[in-house]
Amino acid sequence: MKFLASKKLSDNSVMRSIIIGMLLSLILAMVLSMTAKGIDYGVSPKEWSATVLGNEAEFIDPMSFNDLLLGIHTDLFALILTFILIASVYARMGRSRVVMIGFLTLSLLSLLTYPIGMLFSSMIGSVGVTLSLGGFIVFHLLMIMGGLDSLIGLLRKKF
Amino acid sequence: MNFKILHFVTLAFSTLVILQASLGVLLFTRLVGFTPHDVNLYYGDKSFHGLLEVILPHTLFIAIALMAVLHFLAFIQNIDPRTKKKAVYFLFPLFFLDQFSPLLITLGLEFFAVIKIIAFIGFQGTLFWVWILIFRQTLKLTK
Repeated sequence: MKFLASKKLSDNSVMRSIIIGMLLSLILAMVLSMTAKGIDYGVSPKEWSATVLGNEAEFIDPMSFNDLLLGIHTDLFALILTFILIASVYARMGRSRVVMIGFLTLSLLSLLTYPIGMLFSSMIGSVGVTLSLGGFIVFHLLMIMGGLDSLIGLLRKKF
Repeated sequence: MNFKILHFVTLAFSTLVILQASLGVLLFTRLVGFTPHDVNLYYGDKSFHGLLEVILPHTLFIAIALMAVLHFLAFIQNIDPRTKKKAVYFLFPLFFLDQFSPLLITLGLEFFAVIKIIAFIGFQGTLFWVWILIFRQTLKLTK
């Protein structure tokens, strides 16, 4: 957000501390989000497919479409807000144009892949779920890396 | 930043937000419905605790989301301040009406089912209009 990015943060110790706290919380939230998803859905594409699409051999019912929608809606809300906050701080890091463009493009693409893969999983089957899992992991890793990079930059008073 | 990339980033982000709003509308359609009868039926059976479970996360997240969206609008120079104020004065009351009407429905005030539907459609429509304003201006500025 603009108020995070409009002033030199190393000159403003209060704002700097607030953003350090916010980044720490967001990084923790991303780690917890992956952990919670691992417990709910599993950690492999096979486990995710079984949870979302069901598995007759193991007597697992598929997830209802309403539950799937509700899950995606809740996740997406939190992930969009996380993206806005981390990307707005990361934009001040002064990284090269290629790194910045790569970070933004990959983050947005992976964040789009997660809900779209899930929504179309009833049509394209486990491919959709696997794409969704990939998008989910890539997005979380990017946010953790971007958050850590910004955090180190702030601690070293680089911006 | 390369303008083509900026266009792509803007387009991808707006797709995400529109997808999120569409999911909300789809959920409302599937779970609740768009007639006053449907709304009364859905919320009439809910307990106070059940309503809180929906209202609390929405109040928290939408407050942050509206601040994030409206602050983009506030910093765009070539939009009339009256239009910006209009967006703020519409969005917050509609949001409160949308979230708190179910509480009044459970208290027996069935008329609030109509208010809930109007507030929900109004809120989504106004938010969509604000995003269009922001992205149209962003694309104009990057040309």
